[in-house]
Amino acid sequence: MIGLLLFIISVQPDTLTTSPHNLDEVVVVSRGQGGKRSAKGQVATIDEHLQELNHVELVRRGSYAWEPTVNNMQTERLSTTIDGMKIFYACTDKMDPVTSYVESSNLQSISLNSGLNGNPQATGNIGGALDLRLRKAGFSNNAQNRQNAQAGYETNGNVQVYGADASHSSRRFYVNGGAFYRHADNYKAGGGKELQFSQFQKVNVFTNAGFKFPPSGGDGRGALEATFIYDRASDVGYPALNMDVSKAEAFITSLAYKHLFEDSKLESWETKGYYNHITHVMDDTTRPDVEIHMDMPGESWTAGAYSLLTGEYGKHQAQLNLDGYYNRLFADMTMYPGGAAPMYMVTWPDVGTMNVGVALSDDIRFPSFGGTEGGLHFSGKLSWQHQRLNNEEGYKALSVFFPGMKQQYHQTTGRIAANFNSSILEFLNFSIGAGWGSRAPTVTEAYGYYLNNTFDQYDYIGNPRLKNESAIELNTNFSFSILPSFNFSIDANAFFFSNYIVGQFENRLSAMTVGAEGVKVYGNIDHATIANASLTAEWRPVSGLRWSAKGTYSLGRDDEGEPLPLIAPFTYQSRLSYATGPLSLQAEVKGHTRQAKYGKKYGETETAAWTIVNLSANYQFSIKHYPLGRRTLARQEFTLRAGIENLFDKYYATYSDWCHIPQKGRNIYMNISFEL
Amino acid sequence: MKKVKGLFLVLAVAALTACNSNDDGVQAGIEIPGITITDDIDCCSAEEALQVYKFLQTVKIVPELSTEIDGKYNVFAYTQTGGFHNGYNEIFFVATKKLTGNYIKNFDITTITPLMHMVKMDMYHSTPVGPDAASFNNDYLAVKRTWVSFLMNTSDAGSWTLSYDALVLGDKGGIEKRDIVVNALPDGQAWLKSFKVGDATYYLSLVNPTDWQTGTNAITAYVSKKSEKATVPYALAPETFTIDIDPRMPDMGNHTSPNNTPLTKQADGSYAGTINLTMTGLWRIHLTVRDAQGNIVAGGEELSSLYWDVTI
Repeated sequence: MIGLLLFIISVQPDTLTTSPHNLDEVVVVSRGQGGKRSAKGQVATIDEHLQELNHVELVRRGSYAWEPTVNNMQTERLSTTIDGMKIFYACTDKMDPVTSYVESSNLQSISLNSGLNGNPQATGNIGGALDLRLRKAGFSNNAQNRQNAQAGYETNGNVQVYGADASHSSRRFYVNGGAFYRHADNYKAGGGKELQFSQFQKVNVFTNAGFKFPPSGGDGRGALEATFIYDRASDVGYPALNMDVSKAEAFITSLAYKHLFEDSKLESWETKGYYNHITHVMDDTTRPDVEIHMDMPGESWTAGAYSLLTGEYGKHQAQLNLDGYYNRLFADMTMYPGGAAPMYMVTWPDVGTMNVGVALSDDIRFPSFGGTEGGLHFSGKLSWQHQRLNNEEGYKALSVFFPGMKQQYHQTTGRIAANFNSSILEFLNFSIGAGWGSRAPTVTEAYGYYLNNTFDQYDYIGNPRLKNESAIELNTNFSFSILPSFNFSIDANAFFFSNYIVGQFENRLSAMTVGAEGVKVYGNIDHATIANASLTAEWRPVSGLRWSAKGTYSLGRDDEGEPLPLIAPFTYQSRLSYATGPLSLQAEVKGHTRQAKYGKKYGETETAAWTIVNLSANYQFSIKHYPLGRRTLARQEFTLRAGIENLFDKYYATYSDWCHIPQKGRNIYMNISFEL
Repeated sequence: MKKVKGLFLVLAVAALTACNSNDDGVQAGIEIPGITITDDIDCCSAEEALQVYKFLQTVKIVPELSTEIDGKYNVFAYTQTGGFHNGYNEIFFVATKKLTGNYIKNFDITTITPLMHMVKMDMYHSTPVGPDAASFNNDYLAVKRTWVSFLMNTSDAGSWTLSYDALVLGDKGGIEKRDIVVNALPDGQAWLKSFKVGDATYYLSLVNPTDWQTGTNAITAYVSKKSEKATVPYALAPETFTIDIDPRMPDMGNHTSPNNTPLTKQADGSYAGTINLTMTGLWRIHLTVRDAQGNIVAGGEELSSLYWDVTI
């Protein structure tokens, strides 16, 4: 059994981390075959990889740190974890979704669970759960050393990417680590106009190490794994916002003990403790015509642990997870009017959130019609959290708006989801699923203080008396294989919300930000609906040639039947790819129709239709040579990638480009990855 | 605060018990610098003296206002800063016996008369003052409080003097036209404003806004009426007004805060309400004054020109 496990591990290092169960989709970020990934390969940003996933769109406020949405829901309705670790962004203006604090090179894959069926550590995931899985070298029977390097360049915005990493694996020990650097100047939108404040710079270093204990009798063996990531972005421009960022910095650490059982119904038991700290500093000193200069730093600290037990019993594969974390969020703002005294306010009142949860999931396999296999997947989680406003000044300030509010609150949330999948004959696979789940208001929604939103030009005030938001989800998927070479699938889901949380006009309050339209206070609306449907087709007429097409339509309505904001219009994508030997070529057309049903009530404005064309190519080759001082022949693998994005240099903005900032114009990129 | 006082009492009692058992005749249990505790009924007990002493640590002495009566008593005056500034100033008085240094429980400070001499026109005028000094806190009855609200600061244009009468255990004393210096407030602070109703001039003195913090604050003010003879200190106006407040931040596009309540007249003659401040910085509190019938007598327009400035 050990041999078998080790064999699996050496081939697929990720096995030592939580094995994916019932995932909707995975983007493979690192080396590896199969799975989706960005055409830019190894040097692509996490955002570019995320774009490949179904159900995922990205809200863009600049070139850097795009905010993923899943099923047309943003951060507050999603769970994002790094290898099961909770981490919370530190910017009151959402300039730093947590996906921005890791680099592609840190990751093996990004897994997505759509809707309420989240990974065991996920909480509050109504729209979906993303888990960023770290790349670990893993143990290996034969000692192995690997070194890789990447370099990339993009013409539009003078983007430079350099990365290097190294790993060592042996039976008992592994260590891998690397460093990554990105730099971008302002990019040019279609037509050649430079977009001011779209630059950024980022460095990232990471290391993972594992140590396996010697066998100790018949009860399996354990391994210790440690992770450290340091990520720092500086001089990041946000053309859609009034401010930029001088520093966004994260320390991410974890230590885990994983026990692999033998001859037991239990498979593995992993217990991980972690700590992460984010510092985010906004900066408006480089902006011209700033009416009032402001300092707006934010900090987030999270310490937590989870313990995940996985077992297999007959047709069942079950997981039991206990987790807990403590998070602190603090942000403040100091404004400096010329000559007068500085004005100070606490925008996140040092909210301490203590959250504990228990999650259970089970996969049941059974034979289905016509000899194929069917399955029932079930997952559920119950969480309880306690929140305390540790900053007295912030608490008193918010009390002005909510006289008699308490300094401590607690919430109980839960989710439960089931999914049944089966095949009818060989050509039709289908699944149907349903779930219910709730989420507690976020710190911004409950306790945020005069947070200006450039999207609708309103100042937002949190509401400590919000009720939990809940939703019922229904989903289904049908996929047909009409010919062996032709696949066709339909995917649809709908979320029926109760107590949907959204900012509501409060005319009695006066705006704080100069130039703001007014004030909104978060409130629960009785109900809302978000529904998504997509059609995918794939055709492989001859070996090496592949055509695929995808169209997605979404809908969002509030309790008065008005469109919700940031809901995608009809989006489409069609790709033709050809692979022969080491060379592969791809052409892609994508776009969306005019966003006719925009959330006017919520300050959204119409977005025009657009279509762009992208081309990419990928060539792999190897060089045989004698390494210095050695007599054995070595092979050195190279991968070259090049492509043109927005071939016809269209000027366009997507519906999710914050304040309609334009996307990149024509961009030619090339990059190389190679083994050293 | 309660706890702290309780602690002092416990300490005091413990100390007294300890020295009784020592029986060395000196109640040295409570050491208060410069004070000898005796069985003098005019003066504070050890506990009372300690409370007064502790309170006086929180304010600063104003040397110009000290005086000696009959060679037996001292009268000391204190303010928040040890000096004076434009607008409302609280003044605290204590009287001590020179022999023991202990605080005298009952004494009177009356006829506080600030006087401004305007050099150019060689004219004199007074300014709003509080009633006769009186005890204000049961924990230290030997401290008497009153206030003076200065209309202007000392400058080349004019200077201030201050007089008061003191009556300590039957002996009269006081000070006569002692020179004092009234400092200007920093930019962004204006705590005294006036308005006219007919021929009468009223003054609005805002009380201690430096204590304010972000959030909900009690706001207190006094309305004084100019005396017919300008050299007579201006007493509290006998009329009853209501003062609506509209706090704004001029540097933030006149941002305002919700749920402020107007200042209404209290039993002690002061006006009290609540003010909500959403952040620190300069707040301009626009005022609208209504008479007892609800008619607007001052201010009233949008962003009224009658306002206090407070920077917190």
